[in-house]
Amino acid sequence: MDKFLQFTVLGLSQAAIFAIAASGLVVTYSTSGIFNFAHGAFGMMAAFTYWQVHVAWDVPTWPAFFLVVFIIAPLFGAFIERVIMRGIEDAPEVVKIVVTVSLMVALLFLAIAIWPQDVAHPVGALVEGGQLEIAGVILPNQRLMIIGVAIAVAIGLWLLLKATRLGVAMRAVVDDRSLLQLNGGRPARTAMMSWAIGAGLAAISGVLLAAEQPPSAITLTFLVVNAYAAAVVGRLRSLPGAFLGAVILGLAVSYTAAYLPSDASIGSFSLSGLPRAVPAIMLFIVIVAQPEARLRAHTTIRTRVVGVPTQRTAAIGALVLVLGTAAIGSMIAGPDLPLVSKALWFGLITVSLVPLTGYAGQVSLAQLTFTGIGALAMAEWGANGSPFAVMLSIGLCALVGAVVALPALRLTGIYLALATASFAIFCTWMVFSQSSLLVGGTVSVPPLSIFGWTADTQFKQLMVTAVAFAIIANILVLLRRSAWGRRLTAMRDSPVACATLGLNLTSTKVGVFALSAAIAGSAGAIAGRSFVSDDFGLTPSLQVTMLAVVGGVGSIGGALLGGLLLGMFPIGSSVFAANAIGVFRFVTVPVTKVITIMPGFMGIGMGRNPDGAASDIARSYRSLIESVPASVVTAIAFAILWISARLEYISNWDFFAGVLVILLAVMPLIGSILPPPGVQVAGRRLAAGLWLVFALLITAVLPWETLVESNGFRILLMLVWAGVVASIAVGVHGAVDLEALGLGTDTAAEIESPDLMGFGTEITRADAQLAARAIGLDGELDRPDTGSTAVTHARSGVEVGST
Amino acid sequence: MTDAPAAVEPLLELRDITASYGTIEVLHGVDLVVPPGSVVALLGPNGAGKTTTLSVAAGLLAPTSGGVYMAGRDVSGVKPDELARKRVVTIPEGKGIFPNLTVKENLLMASYTGVSVDHIERVAFERFPRLGERSSQVAGTLSGGEQQMLAMARGLAVEPAILLLDELSMGLAPLIVEELYGIVSHIAKSGTSILVVEQFARAVLGVADTAAVMVNGRIRAVGKPSEIENDLSAAYLGA
Ligand SMILES: Nc1ncnc2c1ncn2[C@@H]1O[C@H](COP(=O)(O)OP(=O)(O)OP(=O)(O)O)[C@@H](O)[C@H]1O
Ligand SMILES: [Mg+2]
Repeated sequence: MDKFLQFTVLGLSQAAIFAIAASGLVVTYSTSGIFNFAHGAFGMMAAFTYWQVHVAWDVPTWPAFFLVVFIIAPLFGAFIERVIMRGIEDAPEVVKIVVTVSLMVALLFLAIAIWPQDVAHPVGALVEGGQLEIAGVILPNQRLMIIGVAIAVAIGLWLLLKATRLGVAMRAVVDDRSLLQLNGGRPARTAMMSWAIGAGLAAISGVLLAAEQPPSAITLTFLVVNAYAAAVVGRLRSLPGAFLGAVILGLAVSYTAAYLPSDASIGSFSLSGLPRAVPAIMLFIVIVAQPEARLRAHTTIRTRVVGVPTQRTAAIGALVLVLGTAAIGSMIAGPDLPLVSKALWFGLITVSLVPLTGYAGQVSLAQLTFTGIGALAMAEWGANGSPFAVMLSIGLCALVGAVVALPALRLTGIYLALATASFAIFCTWMVFSQSSLLVGGTVSVPPLSIFGWTADTQFKQLMVTAVAFAIIANILVLLRRSAWGRRLTAMRDSPVACATLGLNLTSTKVGVFALSAAIAGSAGAIAGRSFVSDDFGLTPSLQVTMLAVVGGVGSIGGALLGGLLLGMFPIGSSVFAANAIGVFRFVTVPVTKVITIMPGFMGIGMGRNPDGAASDIARSYRSLIESVPASVVTAIAFAILWISARLEYISNWDFFAGVLVILLAVMPLIGSILPPPGVQVAGRRLAAGLWLVFALLITAVLPWETLVESNGFRILLMLVWAGVVASIAVGVHGAVDLEALGLGTDTAAEIESPDLMGFGTEITRADAQLAARAIGLDGELDRPDTGSTAVTHARSGVEVGST
Repeated sequence: MTDAPAAVEPLLELRDITASYGTIEVLHGVDLVVPPGSVVALLGPNGAGKTTTLSVAAGLLAPTSGGVYMAGRDVSGVKPDELARKRVVTIPEGKGIFPNLTVKENLLMASYTGVSVDHIERVAFERFPRLGERSSQVAGTLSGGEQQMLAMARGLAVEPAILLLDELSMGLAPLIVEELYGIVSHIAKSGTSILVVEQFARAVLGVADTAAVMVNGRIRAVGKPSEIENDLSAAYLGA
C-alpha cells in the first residue's frame, strides 16, 4: 500500500509537469491553429538557457527562473510566431506540420551544438531538499513544489482565459476570427501572445524537468510526446481535458514503472521498454478513440498541381539515373562510396512519401520505423540475401503499414501525423530495443544475392540501390496514372466531395499507407549494411519527412532531391571534418555542427515555398533543355569536369561537388535567366567573357599550393567557374537563331514533356476532368479558382480589368 | 460621433467600388452615400453583392478600385480592426456573436472601441433585460432573437459613428424584427449613420431614409423608399 501511495505521488508530480506542457500546447493550438511540434524543443531550450543563466553565469535560482520563464521564453515564442508561424497560417496542413517539425529538429541540433551533450548540465534543485511525511507516505519538497506550480498554472490560465480581455479574445479568435476584427480585436496580436504564453509554459515544464535530473536535449525534446498525449485527451482544445489527460498519463507511467517486473517478457519478447512506451501507446489509443473528426469544407487545396510524367519519360529518367549513378560510382573510390550510396538510399525512403504525402496528402512521421522493420525482417529471414526474403520483408512492412493505418483511417492531418509519431516511438522502445533482434544494439542486413551474384562490394550495393529506386519510381508513375492514383489525389484535394459522393476511401487509404510502408521497408531490406537502433528512431524519420517536403514530395524527382540533400549532410560533415575550416574560420561554431543544424532551417524556410524546391528547379530546367546551345555548354562543362577527375587534376570529392553545383545551381540558374530565343544578347556575351577572364586570372594567379587544401577556396573557385559556365550558356543561347533551326518556341511546345524525373508540368484542365470522371466526381474539380477574402490592402487607383 | 463635418458631407461614401473574390469580380462600380444620422437600406436579391459591399465598407475586403470614404477621409485599405476602434460597428450576416463565449464575454469584446465594459453592460442590459437575466449563459445557446439582440447591443452601447448591419431579420419572427428596427431608428436619431442590408424589404423600409436597390453588383436605383418600389419588385422578378 505504501508503495502504491508513493508511486501515486510520483505519478502526480510527473502529471503536473505534463499538464503544464500540455496546457501550453493547447493554448497555442487553439488560438493560432498551428500544432507546435517544437513545443518540447522550446522547453528543452529553456532548460539549457536556465542552465546557462543559473549555473554558467551564477544568477541565483529564482531570478534565473523568472528571467527564463517570464522573459526569455515568451519573447522567443512571440518571435517565432511573428517570423515563422504568421506566414503559414493559411498554408496546407502538411506545410504547417513540416515547418514546426523542422523547427523542432533545428532547435534540437542547435542546442546540441551550443551545449555539447557529452557533458552533463545539472541545474540543481529549485527548492531545499526536505520532505514531508504524512501517514507513512513521503512527500519530497521538490515533488510538492512541482504539483504546486501546476496548480498555480491552472489557476493562472483559468483567470487569464475567463477574466482578462486578452484571454477572452484568445477564445473569441477560435470562434470567429473576422468577427473579432470587426470588434476591434487584433487576431495576429492575440496569436502572438498565445505563442508567448505557450513558450512560457513549455519553459516552466522544461526547467522543472531539468531540476529533476540533468537535462538531455533529445530526451527533453521528445518528452513533449507525453504532453501531446495529455493534450489530445482534451482534443487539443480543452484545458481541463489536458489536465485530466496528464493525470491519467502520469499515473499510468508511474504504476507501470512500479509494478512491471524488470524482466517481464512474452516468450522471448522483452517488455522492459514498456514503461517508456506508455505515453506513445496512450497517444495512439486516445487519437484513435477520438470521436469522428468533422471534415472541414474549407480544406486547403494545393495551389499548384504537379504534373505526372508519361511512362516513357519515367523509364528514360530511370535509365539516366542508373547510368549516372554508375558513372559517378566508378569515379569515387573506397571509403567515400558508402556515403554516396547512403545519399541515394535516403532517396529511396523519401520517395516512399510520394504516394502518401504527395499524392494523397497524408503525413507520416514513421518512415524509418518501416525501414527498420524491413531491415530486421531481412536479417532474420534472408541470411543468404535471397530476393525472396526481400519480397517477404517488404510484404511484412506493407502489412504493418496497413495495420497501423486501419485504426487511423478516420484521421487526417495533425492527428494522423501524431499517430504515426507515436507508432515510431512505440517501436523504438518495444521493437528496436529487443536484444534478441538487435544483438548488442546492432542489426546487420545481408547483401542482396541473385542467382549467385552478390552485392558484396560498395559499388554493387550502390547499383542495387539505384536499380531499386528506378523500379520503384516506375511503379509509382504507373500507379499515379491509374484510376487508383486519381482517386488518391481526389482524396487529397476534396475529402468533403469524396465523402458526400459516398466514395469509399477505406481501401484506398489503407492501400496507400501499405504501399508507402512497403517502399520504406524495401530500403531496409536491400540496405546490405548494419544499423544501430537509433537509425530507426523518430528523429531520422522527422528529417526524412522534412526534407522530402523541402525537395518537393509531389514528384519523384523532388523526393529524390530531398533524400539526396539528407544524404549530403553527412558527406559535407566528412569533407569538412577532414581538413581546415577554410573561409569558415571566422565562424565560431565548427562547420560540422552548422551542417547538422542546416536541415532544420531548410525545413523552416520551405514554409514560404510549399511546392518544394524541385518544382522551381524543374521549371528552369525546362527552359534550359529547350535551348540546345545552352544544354550543349552545360554538357561540355560536365565533360571537362569528368576528364579533369579522370586525369586526377581534381579530387573525387571536387568532382562530386562540381556535379552537384552544376546540377542544382548552375543549370537552374541558366534556365531561369535565359533570354527568349532571338533576343539580342551582346551584353551577356560580354559578361561571359569577363567571367572567363576573371576565372582564368584566379586560376592562374593564385598560389595554388597553399590554398588548394582550403575548402573555402575550393568553394570560391567552383562558384567562379559556375558563373563562367552559366554566362557562356546564356550568351551562346542567344547567338544562334533557333527559329531558323526549327527549334523555336513553337515547335518546342509540341515536344513531349522533357521533365525526365516527373516534376513540373502543370496539370491541364483536361487531365483534371479526366481524373474527375475516373472516380465519378464529374464537375467537382471543374471549378473556378477562388481566392480567400483576406484583406490585401490594395489602395484605390489600381486598375484591374473592366466591368 | 459628432465631430463629423457639416451635414452636406456624407459620413460614409463608397465611390465607384469594384471588388473581386480571386479573379471573379463581384462589384462593378458601386456608388453609395450615407449622410450623417440617416438610415440607408441596401436591398437586392440573393447574390447581388450586398454583403460584399458591406465587407468593403467594413474593411474586410479591399476594393480592387474605387475608394471608401468616412467623414471625407479615404479609408480604403484600412484594416477592419482599425475601423472598429474608430467606432465603425459592423454586425455581419447571421453571426454577430461569439457562440462559445458567454453573454458578458461577448460584451467585453466590444470594449476595444474604448467604451468601458460597465457602460456597455449597463446599456445592453437596460435595453434588453432578457440578456441581463442570461448574462452568464453561453451565447450559442441563446435563442435566435436573443442572439441578434446581443449583436445589436454592441451597436447600441458603443455609440458608433457608422453602423453596418447585414440581414438583421434573418430567421426571426416579425415581432422581433420590428423591435430590432425600432432600435435601429433610435440609434439613428442619436446621430449614427446606418447602412443596413436586407433581402426582404418590408420592415426596413419603415425606418430607412433612403433605399438603394442592387442587382448583379451594380446599384440599380436610389431614392426614397416610396420611390423605388417599382425597381424593387423588378429586381426580385429578375428583370
Ligand atoms: N468568399 C467568397 N468567395 C467567392 N465568392 C464569393 C464569396 N462571397 C461571396 N461570393 C460571391 O459574390 C457574389 C455576391 O455575394 P454576396 O454575399 O455579396 O451577395 P448578397 O447580396 O449578400 O446575397 P445574399 O442576399 O444571399 O446574402 C455571389 O455570387 C457570391 O457567390
Ligand atoms: Mg448577404
